[in-house]
Amino acid sequence: MSTDLKDRSRIWFVLPAMLVVLALLIYPVLSSIYFSFTSRHLLRAAYDLVGLRNFVFVLSSADFWDAFANSIKWTVGSVAGQLAVGLLAALALEKVPRFSGLYRILLIIPWAFPAIVIAFAWRWIFNDVYGFLPNLLTALGISEGNISFLANPAFVFATVVGINIWFGAPLFIINILAALKTVPRDQYEAALIDGASVGQRFRYITVPHIKRVVGLLLILRTIWVFNNFELLFLITGGGPAGLTTTLPIFAYRTGWGLRQLGAASAITVLLLAFLLAGAALAFRMINRWERSVAR
Amino acid sequence: MNGARAFLRAFALPYAFLSVLAVIAAFPLFWIVVSSLKSAPELASDPLAFWPRTPTLEHYRHVLFDLGAIVNLGNSLIISTSTTVLTILVSAPAAYGIVRFYPRVGQRLTQILISTYMVPPILLAVPYAIIMITLGLSNTYVGLVLAYLSFSIPYAVWMLTAFYQTVPVEIEEAAYVDGAGRLRTFISVASPIVLPGIVATAIYTFINAFNEFLFALLFINSSSKMPIAVALYSLGGSEVLDWGAMMAASVVVVVPSIVFFLFIQKYIAAGLAEGSVK
Repeated sequence: MSTDLKDRSRIWFVLPAMLVVLALLIYPVLSSIYFSFTSRHLLRAAYDLVGLRNFVFVLSSADFWDAFANSIKWTVGSVAGQLAVGLLAALALEKVPRFSGLYRILLIIPWAFPAIVIAFAWRWIFNDVYGFLPNLLTALGISEGNISFLANPAFVFATVVGINIWFGAPLFIINILAALKTVPRDQYEAALIDGASVGQRFRYITVPHIKRVVGLLLILRTIWVFNNFELLFLITGGGPAGLTTTLPIFAYRTGWGLRQLGAASAITVLLLAFLLAGAALAFRMINRWERSVAR
Repeated sequence: MNGARAFLRAFALPYAFLSVLAVIAAFPLFWIVVSSLKSAPELASDPLAFWPRTPTLEHYRHVLFDLGAIVNLGNSLIISTSTTVLTILVSAPAAYGIVRFYPRVGQRLTQILISTYMVPPILLAVPYAIIMITLGLSNTYVGLVLAYLSFSIPYAVWMLTAFYQTVPVEIEEAAYVDGAGRLRTFISVASPIVLPGIVATAIYTFINAFNEFLFALLFINSSSKMPIAVALYSLGGSEVLDWGAMMAASVVVVVPSIVFFLFIQKYIAAGLAEGSVK
């Protein structure tokens, strides 16, 4: 067998995966962009090119901007909370001499919850008639009568963000913990001898070693939360009164509720464009970090 | 005495913090289990009871057999297993190929993964819906499995690349000298070494497919073919909610998922921390 033939066999290893990405990701993205310029309806085969009409319709709708604002609030609140809890918990786990394995197991539990069970569990805990938490607060005299956390406009957003922090913190905990293990012990010891404070040790030794992982986590989670449909759809359905309707839910309503696939495509294309712009910015930041770490 | 105080100062705060967090993290699991074992009257009469007075498995029987959740669990099993097998068959050679033959792609792999990750599932749903109607794939397992490959394969390739990178090239060279071809080397030399990683990736793929909701909601509409996540959703949408049944179904779905997760968590963390590709 000639080496030439062997060389060509390399491509067969990666070709199927490339085809999948092409057929299931690249082609659909292009086709969504195309549909965003058409009057495609969910149930009718015939449609026309309508130019920018969908974009004009979407961008001039107050509902779109409300959903956009909700998406930003939901993403920033959730990811910031997940990072804060994740970082503090990982640092605490590193510090404790015993039971860290047990704590890890308990802390990781939410990660394994499917969206539907997250929704059922928390809707049940927050249920304003039979729920554990509202009844507990009433019994303790903290609230007069049961609070309906998921229906009351004053509480609903903080509640869903709290649920998302509960769900997403474990990913940060486990990954930051793994990154903390890569920090060389002797650097801490040397810093201690030099009389560095806790804050200085964190800033000059810990942070450089976990920066890259934290940056990656922030990017991945931000994308995930921003694109996530099912958590809010299953917990609140986007309500009350649209207060928790994010862009994916808005796109779903437009495409499958109103059956306007063309307009729905315009929303999802805008969603992707926004993410791409954000990611380009984030990557420039990460590259700068990497160069600064590269010694 | 002095030692005890120093101990307290150093560790009390982390322990207190972790304990509070652990209670919050684990409480929903505890609560759905307890609630699933309470009888319907007790669920309504005593919302704060930490343990059922007369534990009953009635909700489990009702949801699994009367409401047919066992059929939906079977559907989920078929769909998730097919997704997992196809994903590994496509992703393992790809990951190996990237590590051995296309290292420059490997250097950019994290960026590539993030780019695929950025495509909103709801964006894909529109063309998928149209293609499925055209090809007659709506309401079929095949259609749903294909849709799942869109997110499972990029992630699996990314995870597996990190594992294949740990295989020393010298071992493979020895196999080449013995006359093994590329495929043989991949299958019988490199892959057995990274088998734990392949298993972890497979489990992760399986859980994600098992838990997926949006595509299943949009592309499967007959209850006999519905995976469990969507079947449960319709349970939660009725006028009078049967919380006992909902809790029992939740336990059935979440417990296997937690067990699997505990197995694979260290592998998932390893990928990001070692920076699979830098």
